[in-house]
Amino acid sequence: MIKSIKKEHLAHLWERLASNGPLYLPVKEGPALLFKPWREGAAVDLETVSSTVSPKEVFLPRDEVYMQFSRAGQKLELHPAVQEPAGRLIAFGLRSCDLRAVELLDMVFCRKEPVDEPYAARRENTTLVALACGEPDPFCFCTAFGVDPVNAPGADVQAWWNRDDLVLEAETARGEALFTLAGELLAERNAVDRPERPATTDFSLPLEGLPKRLKERFDDPAWGRLYRSCIGCGACTYVCPTCHCFDVQDFGHHARGQRFRCWDSCMYKEFTVMAGGHNPRLTRKERVRQRFLHKLQYFPENYGVYACVGCGRCLRSCPVNLDVVQAIRALGGETVEQR
Amino acid sequence: MAENNVDYSAKIRGVVAQDLLSGRIDLLLGWEKGHYWWQSRPLFARDQADLERLAWDSFCAVNLSRYLVDELKENKKVGVLLKGCDARALNRLVQDNMVPRERVIAYGLPCPGMLNYAALLEAAAGRKPDGIAEENGQVTVRGGGVELTVPRDRVLLDKCRHCLYPNPVHCDQLLLTPVGERQAPERFSAVQERESLSSDARFAYWEKQLERCLRCYACRQACPYCSCRECFVEQEQPRWLSKASQPSENFMFHLIRAYHGAGRCIDCGECQRACPVGIPLQELNRKLIKDINELYGHYEAGLDPGQEPPLLTYRPDDPAAFSEK
Repeated sequence: MIKSIKKEHLAHLWERLASNGPLYLPVKEGPALLFKPWREGAAVDLETVSSTVSPKEVFLPRDEVYMQFSRAGQKLELHPAVQEPAGRLIAFGLRSCDLRAVELLDMVFCRKEPVDEPYAARRENTTLVALACGEPDPFCFCTAFGVDPVNAPGADVQAWWNRDDLVLEAETARGEALFTLAGELLAERNAVDRPERPATTDFSLPLEGLPKRLKERFDDPAWGRLYRSCIGCGACTYVCPTCHCFDVQDFGHHARGQRFRCWDSCMYKEFTVMAGGHNPRLTRKERVRQRFLHKLQYFPENYGVYACVGCGRCLRSCPVNLDVVQAIRALGGETVEQR
Repeated sequence: MAENNVDYSAKIRGVVAQDLLSGRIDLLLGWEKGHYWWQSRPLFARDQADLERLAWDSFCAVNLSRYLVDELKENKKVGVLLKGCDARALNRLVQDNMVPRERVIAYGLPCPGMLNYAALLEAAAGRKPDGIAEENGQVTVRGGGVELTVPRDRVLLDKCRHCLYPNPVHCDQLLLTPVGERQAPERFSAVQERESLSSDARFAYWEKQLERCLRCYACRQACPYCSCRECFVEQEQPRWLSKASQPSENFMFHLIRAYHGAGRCIDCGECQRACPVGIPLQELNRKLIKDINELYGHYEAGLDPGQEPPLLTYRPDDPAAFSEK
């Protein structure tokens, strides 16, 4: 089923779609583009190709309460976390790379026992609307990882621009339910050719056999050169659509509080500090190596696919331009870069 | 820039090569080109072949001074290329006893201000720029068969907009001709604008800005005044700051950081440049710089290594404005 809506009527569509539950979409906040629940007056931006921070926060929020606790004298009481408001979530405007990343997160959180309940519940409750890319961003290299910028498998609705019309094609029953919710705001439309696949750079990355080469090079001195410029912030991990490590902490005080999980970053030195103070990843070298090997060796070993989707966010956001492309080039080729 | 960038890079390379190859320094911290023409990233040069990659252009925004703290653990003597702000950062690190000055050779590079890719994109008016040329304070953006020329001031990084000290101070060697003095009459205008708001409106403004903080700590890691070996953020017992991405915690982090930098911030703006979500952190720092200036007399951190920061000294006639209010 294919429908469309004029660009100037989109504000009505947002209002309608948000009436049934949170509608996440790319919103301009200062100079950043973030996936946020739509509110009246939100500066929605469906033109810019990739959001500053990936939409993973729709399914894996920056923090999320597991349970609440209170204590009176010797008595400890545990309460389940307050549930999110009922109603379906809609995530609108994810790009093909983002969709692939969601698929990778599903492998981690849903496809193996034990299933991660909060993630799975959000995922189950969300209608995904993918938006085809027109002109790619200079940082995009998704095609290197086999992502098709104009076609996102796994989406409930695939959308694309046709001049000033946003064309939407329902791919699943959930997608059709979204059409029903939108009602008369969407016009019937005959089949429209999907946009042509734009050319992105692929950096000619040596991905064939890469995990094996990296495994052999765990102790290669090249890591000792690569990590030097890393300043040890967590920007790359937090903008990344596939980084998914979290920490579990308590918030509150002795008498009352919450146990929650929140994003964590393997770039932080306390990430691996153990009780007693030992830290197996003592310097930034071990941390930088861990991050890239997780994407390029461990994830492929465990799940059969790379945990990089070529979205280019680390290329854009790293304050010192140390990114996954540089790592692959330095350590992943037929030979290791000697400087 | 009167000479072109290639000439500059070659000239710099020539000078530092002598010191590196003669063993006067073990390592040179400089810049090399990244994947894109608008990115120049840190270079750690140990020999002639490394030096071939050295680049000095209008995208060398990364402050290299902070790398000295770690690199001096592994090297006896390190050479470092410093812009005006970076040189003041080095002075601050020396004052904080984080860097032994005698083990550093500081090469000064007078800086015309670094350029902002986002602003260049804007200047290209919808076309994809594929390079720039610079002449007489003008930047010509090339792309899509078209050339558009804009004043350099319009495409500067935010952090360079109100720079007062483009020429490095207290360097061992100045490698290029000093650039002209700069004025920054608008330096505190954003701060004054915030000050004119009611406290509720000001709170709402910062709540909105800090809401998007990812707590990635890029601001802290890029900052020359954040040189603590262990940040309060990371202390587990007691845990001063929750990892929860809550307004209270985001405020706590940024305000403590800003206060810790009072009188020590050199206003280099690396925090703001490093922030992936564009929080105007320089406004917080400038508010404190302005307050210090008003309370204790004009002070520019890092300008004179012999002059202690106002909050690290005591004078019997220090104003007591806080308690009087």
